[in-house]
Amino acid sequence: MKKVQPWLTLLARLVLGGTLLAAGLLKIKNPSEAAASVRVYKMLPVVIANILGYGLPWVEIGIALLLIVGVALKKSALAGGILMAMFIIAISQAWARGLPINCGCFGNGGVTADGKVHALTYFTEIVRDIGLLVLAGFLYRFPHGKLGLDKFELEENDGNK
Amino acid sequence: MATSNSGKPDKGLRATVIGMVTFVVIVGIGFTLISNHSKSVLKLPATVSKADGYGIVFNPTAKPVIDIWEDFQCPVCQRFEAINSTYINQVVAAGTAKVVFHPMSFIGQESVLAANAAACANDQGKFLAYHTLLYQNQSPTENSGKFTSDFLTKLGGAGGISGSKFSGCISNLSYQNWTKNIEVDAASKNINSTPTIFVNGKEIDRKTQYMDPVAFQAVLTAGGVK
Repeated sequence: MKKVQPWLTLLARLVLGGTLLAAGLLKIKNPSEAAASVRVYKMLPVVIANILGYGLPWVEIGIALLLIVGVALKKSALAGGILMAMFIIAISQAWARGLPINCGCFGNGGVTADGKVHALTYFTEIVRDIGLLVLAGFLYRFPHGKLGLDKFELEENDGNK
Repeated sequence: MATSNSGKPDKGLRATVIGMVTFVVIVGIGFTLISNHSKSVLKLPATVSKADGYGIVFNPTAKPVIDIWEDFQCPVCQRFEAINSTYINQVVAAGTAKVVFHPMSFIGQESVLAANAAACANDQGKFLAYHTLLYQNQSPTENSGKFTSDFLTKLGGAGGISGSKFSGCISNLSYQNWTKNIEVDAASKNINSTPTIFVNGKEIDRKTQYMDPVAFQAVLTAGGVK
């Protein structure tokens, strides 16, 4: 474990960071769609949902960059974990209330085209986000890994790969 | 691994990276919030009313009111158009309802171009004809590069719209700010997908009343369309 863990930390950083980066980048091109993606969850007043919709993709990108570069890892893992917990709550309540919506996690949010609830989609999205939440927890517990800026001098030799 | 806790981190580089990331996030959020605000200085197309959410209005004094939010790049809107546009156009022509079109542009830049061009056609009194042409010529993939100024101008020719005013309106993106205001208004009204149809301010049932022409006509009749 001692030998493997730094590599697992690197892998977790890249998977969680890469997912967040993709999610953010796919959404910043279409802010009004991103805002609609938040509104459809019907958890927040419209005005606040819109602000969150416009801002969230940038927050995802910010956390993703910190995770990938490996800076302030405990804090960025915590932030990533909080995001995942929020998403899990949002998707679960939408499923429980029978809201016919697309996740909008990677753009393409909004009401489903056929106006129906797709249980399997909700299920896989929740499973995916739980997986990412576990990665965030792992990073919070084991923040020291390969190729991370947090201890740049030590790993300089690996840093130029 | 055992040594990593005792390692001396490069504080300067770390702080620089954190600063840069914070800067990107704050600038990004600020820019997005500002650019998604209603524009106060803007040119409005003909028959557009701010009170009707910047929509293009037909029969402004008639009752009931039908609101249509759509995106010319949205495939479901294309299906809806194919199913119901003949009836909607009849209602517009007969004047039995106030019909408000809200061309949205949330799918991307080519939606902005198309919505702007539709407003340009509306200035020439040819909105409905151009509306149909846009859907007939929708690209199977979004933002594929099909809807260009050149293409949209030529498309007008097929509907009998021409002239330098029309082509200039398209190439100058004269109503770009107006398309933004439609988006902002729709966001404030909780319009979360296209098409969205309101009859007298209430959405009709997405499961049953959008894609069935009989049910669609029935809900409009129930709303007061004669």
